[in-house]
Amino acid sequence: MSDRMRIILLLAPAMLVIVVLFFGGLAVGLMRSFNYMPVIGLTQPNLDAYVAVFTSREFYYSFLLTFHISFTSTLISCVLAIGAALLLRRSFLGKSVLNFLFQLNLTVPHLVGAIGILYLFSQSGSFARLGYQWGLIAKPADFPALVFDPYAIGIILQYVWKEIPFIGVIVLANMQSIGTDYESVARSLGASRWQSFRHVLLPLIFPGVLSASVMVFAFTFGAYEIPAILGQNYPAALPVLAYRKYTDVDLAARPEAMAMAIVIAILSALLIWVYIRTSRRSIRG
Amino acid sequence: MTHVSIKSLTKTYPGAPKPALDRLSLEIPSGDLTALLGPSGCGKTTTMKMIAGLLDPTSGDVTFDGRSILRDKPEKRGVVMVFQNHLLFPYMTVADNVGFGLKMRKVAKPEIDARVAEMLALVQLPDLGRRRPSELSGGQQQRVALARALIVRPNVLLLDEPLSNLDAHLRFEMRDLIRALQRDMGITTIFVTHDQEEAVVLADRVALILDGSLCQYAPADVFYKRPADEAVARFFGGHNFIPGNSTAGTFHSTLPPLRLPDDARTGSGKLTFRPESVRIGAAPENTLTTRVIDRIYLGTQTRLRLSSGDNVIEAVLSPDLVEGLQPGADIEINLPRQSLWVLE
Repeated sequence: MSDRMRIILLLAPAMLVIVVLFFGGLAVGLMRSFNYMPVIGLTQPNLDAYVAVFTSREFYYSFLLTFHISFTSTLISCVLAIGAALLLRRSFLGKSVLNFLFQLNLTVPHLVGAIGILYLFSQSGSFARLGYQWGLIAKPADFPALVFDPYAIGIILQYVWKEIPFIGVIVLANMQSIGTDYESVARSLGASRWQSFRHVLLPLIFPGVLSASVMVFAFTFGAYEIPAILGQNYPAALPVLAYRKYTDVDLAARPEAMAMAIVIAILSALLIWVYIRTSRRSIRG
Repeated sequence: MTHVSIKSLTKTYPGAPKPALDRLSLEIPSGDLTALLGPSGCGKTTTMKMIAGLLDPTSGDVTFDGRSILRDKPEKRGVVMVFQNHLLFPYMTVADNVGFGLKMRKVAKPEIDARVAEMLALVQLPDLGRRRPSELSGGQQQRVALARALIVRPNVLLLDEPLSNLDAHLRFEMRDLIRALQRDMGITTIFVTHDQEEAVVLADRVALILDGSLCQYAPADVFYKRPADEAVARFFGGHNFIPGNSTAGTFHSTLPPLRLPDDARTGSGKLTFRPESVRIGAAPENTLTTRVIDRIYLGTQTRLRLSSGDNVIEAVLSPDLVEGLQPGADIEINLPRQSLWVLE
């Protein structure tokens, strides 16, 4: 058997899963979004579902909310993760314990984190009760709305809590492989501590930060469960909106749900492309 | 022009059983090119990093023109360090790399451009400003690193193994370039190397550091002719060490008495001489009869191991002088008086 044949055969199981599940699902979704379902006699594809999506005001509100959630949580996670990595790359007493604690919540599922946020930050949660007991607020309901709130603070908190160690681990590994010599060169050439970070270390760790943050952005843009648990009803994040349409008692809403899912995928790819282009220019320019 | 004084500089890393650098003291005159020479791990790079402010000393002081610089931040010391592996910023063009120090000093863009062009011409790379470092050869990268350091007109230039990553013909080119630039600009320069040849060809003075301590600080030729001790002599390729006694200008040992130069120390010690200083044939003084143990042809030279009584003498001679000489043959050699030196 030739090497090429062997590689193809070895890759076949993985490729089969990708092709059948991903592209198969995508193809079915695409067909349905065009109102094309020969099984039930819909054989004339049309753009009705897309027209419905793009003429709905709710869709634009949801898009803005989803973009806000993804952008804000990615930005905050990146900044805090880089800060944490800068501290953790130094050697100090108890570093390994702190490193372990830092990475601990990588193993905790998103759902568990969301429930934790709900217990801690909702107006009937632990912090609200503590605030009430200590006399900081007159009643638990006076606690600021951090969950089910219009600014999606609860959702962002959950994503930030979960994504800091994810980005941090990647950035830390990146920093450790780069070492400190480039910064030493910059310092000896007259760069201050901040300048050597801004002009030398940041561009060097940029590829790692970029890939990690793209993953976080794509995930938070398309994720359903956290906005479903911690988000308010209206406007809802795009994936929540799409799911609602999909489970609508009116079966005619399904093509709309599929159109929305396709739009989410295209928007997500488009935003990532814009993000990569602009950040590459501003960091390395 | 900056006079650099290093005073009892010591660095002990946390948890280390002994200092990485132990009470190093050196006076480096303004505009001098000094080599810190020693094997890997002897404390050379530690010394450079402490001068550059990238590492804090455990004790001791470094002064520039009499003023201590240890409290100054690295970017305020006027010291630039060029690392062994060049460390050009890979995401910048060559011109941006060279202009980096000026950009950090917020120099206006037109001035940066003009000085970068001038500096690239000086290191003989006038047309490579737009390239990325990955598109340059090792020698070109080294030149760019040098240009990037010199453009900020440092008071003190530190070079980490400046020639060791280059192949033979580039080493000579680079050596000449470093010497020329250093002399023209009059920058006090310290470089570290593990290679004695690199130290000898480049430096005005050499500081040999072994095991964290300074062994000798002198012009390069002194290390060959008047080494401070056996370790120094061995580091510089010395092989001949004969125990005995030096009295009234004569060395007494199991060899016949040998006449010594006037400045030789007296008392018990070891006689040393360079393998290259051994001469074939009899002379009015210091002649020995020896037997050839073996002969190794080295291309431009031949290395002979000779026995005289219990003593083994190493000699390096021109191949045509020892042609046809076989192991077991007896030959007369002489040791010129000025080539002899007595160690403690």
